Amino acid sequence: MDLTTILFLVLAFLIITFSAAVVILPNPIYAALSLAVTMISLGFMYFLLQAYFIAGVQLIVYAGAVMVLFVMVLMLFDLRKEIAAFSGSKFSSLLKILCGLFFTGAIIIAIRQGVIALSVSAGEPTPAEQIEMVKNLALRLFTQYVLAFEALGVLLLVVAVGVVAVARSRGGTHAHHN
Amino acid sequence: MGQDAFEITINTAKMLVIFLLMVQLVPVLVWIERRGSAFIQSRLGPNRVGPLGLTQLLADAVKFLQKEEFLPEHGQGLIFYAAPVMALIPAALAFASIPLSAPIHINPFLWNGHKFGPYDFEFQSFHFGVGIVYVLGVSSLGAYSLLMAGWGSSNKFSLMGALRASAQTISYELALGLSLVGAIMVFGTFDFSQMIQFQSQPLTSLLGVHMSIPAMNWGIFYQPLGALLYFASTFAETNRLPFDLPEAEGELVAGYHTEYGGLKMLMFYIGEYGHMMVGSALMVTFYFGGYLIPGLTVAQVHSHLATWLHLGANPAAIVTALALHVVFFIKVFFFLWVFVWVRWTLPRFRYDQLMDLGWKTMLPWALANVLLTAGWMLFKGMH
Amino acid sequence: MPTITNTAAVTVTIVTLNHYLALSGVVFAIGMIGVLLRRNAIVMLMGIELMLNAVNLAMVAFAHYRQDASGNILAFFVMTVAAAEAGVGLALAVNIFKRFKEVNIKYFEHLKG
Repeated sequence: MDLTTILFLVLAFLIITFSAAVVILPNPIYAALSLAVTMISLGFMYFLLQAYFIAGVQLIVYAGAVMVLFVMVLMLFDLRKEIAAFSGSKFSSLLKILCGLFFTGAIIIAIRQGVIALSVSAGEPTPAEQIEMVKNLALRLFTQYVLAFEALGVLLLVVAVGVVAVARSRGGTHAHHN
Repeated sequence: MGQDAFEITINTAKMLVIFLLMVQLVPVLVWIERRGSAFIQSRLGPNRVGPLGLTQLLADAVKFLQKEEFLPEHGQGLIFYAAPVMALIPAALAFASIPLSAPIHINPFLWNGHKFGPYDFEFQSFHFGVGIVYVLGVSSLGAYSLLMAGWGSSNKFSLMGALRASAQTISYELALGLSLVGAIMVFGTFDFSQMIQFQSQPLTSLLGVHMSIPAMNWGIFYQPLGALLYFASTFAETNRLPFDLPEAEGELVAGYHTEYGGLKMLMFYIGEYGHMMVGSALMVTFYFGGYLIPGLTVAQVHSHLATWLHLGANPAAIVTALALHVVFFIKVFFFLWVFVWVRWTLPRFRYDQLMDLGWKTMLPWALANVLLTAGWMLFKGMH
Repeated sequence: MPTITNTAAVTVTIVTLNHYLALSGVVFAIGMIGVLLRRNAIVMLMGIELMLNAVNLAMVAFAHYRQDASGNILAFFVMTVAAAEAGVGLALAVNIFKRFKEVNIKYFEHLKG
């Protein structure tokens, strides 16, 4: 086995274990920390797939910002023991899990029907080549996909305003006392 | 890693040495902090153990090892013990990808009857093309250690300190990232080696005055505002005064590490000083020419050393690399001293002032810096 | 895993696109089970994040094996949207928690009008 295969197997093991832990662990804080480990492992898997910029963004945005926000909110609530972490009766839970397993099976069978391997590029690119790949990505982003990019900017602005409107509270350090 | 056993051995040893270098610099920094604060406040500081109090650090280490190991009541064991380790990892990973010296080329040589080489060695543990994105990504994971420490110790003050610290870290990460964008645009790359290559060109003009100083094309002459904003947000990222609200001792005992003692406390220290080192090393790499000596190119340093010390090409390359390490660390230590200097000079902000400064002052200025840089580059016709 | 034999007659195992796609499918299903099974609104949001990440992995894998950067750009867009979605979801959860001291999904029905 070469290094890529070993890394793939280790990362795949981490991803599956910790994403299962997200669903299984009843304490939401442990679930959030498991999800953070999943995100970090996925980031390193993107390094393996030679998507260097996406890997960095995954670490900065998902692992560094979104998941920290999740953990922060959960710790603020301080939900140590949760009433009714899982839903409904045993029967419906079993049905839901079977649904999930059936879905996985369907996906994997569909994949097995498809092509075994598409062309694989040879070897690890040098740092200079990696920079060229990022430049290529940026050029595509700002020419071919510029409309979607601008639309996302508008979406983020709307979301920022909306979140402030939803989460706004009276009081706090900036309150005007009257 | 390398093609043969020799190269793989050297590269593995290099990784270990860079990690140990970071960890071993921490006691020296603690000494500088204590003696520096004493100097600023007209005191003596620790001066009893060894010359200038330097072996105080050894005594401290022995003390840390002997402390009692305990878990607070209702504390979450796993998270409580994992937090100090999580404090150490991001700083170590980030520091490992910053080039500490010029890459050297070793010509083929004979050793023990075997022919080795030629080799090219870089003085960084791993070299990614997206260097700065990787460093920002890895160091943003530091927030978990704060949150885990605060929640795991099951202490109100710890939790409040942790929530403050992580909110502050996330907020200032934006200003920090955006202040670097201007420099990235000027250099046209994410890669630290290419950035230093850009800065090793001669400086041709400054403020309209024409000149020619080799190896002086530093980022600071292109990005003065960016450098200022970057350095200011580094203080907030490392939770140092004047932004040390998370561990404000008057309000929160000691913040997120209230319940920690002994070696676990020491690991938090290593994490904090490690982040300071990464911040200073990035400052030097981005704005102060990395390992470059002003007025001397790397090739000139190499040839001068070879003539002065009567060395062959290979020993001269190694000596050059060591000399440039020294230059890099002199620059880094200057900024680390600024960290100490500021800590014992400026008073602490209030928490709302801190958030206002981050979101309403530094973020807009960082955005303006990006726009100004873009306009200036368009005007100059760069790239 | 399929093995191929190269000229030096050494068998090497290679990771193909299918491995990545299967992993992506498994993670997607786990996320789906999470959303169906859990009652904590924030954990359900985490399930959605898992599903989005699984799709991202598939797209980055396609981009790598087809040598086409479009997959990476799509993954980048998905990340942005996911971050926005997490922000809105958490704001709603904070509001629910302030009212009911719990973030169970059953309280979300009080949100309507």
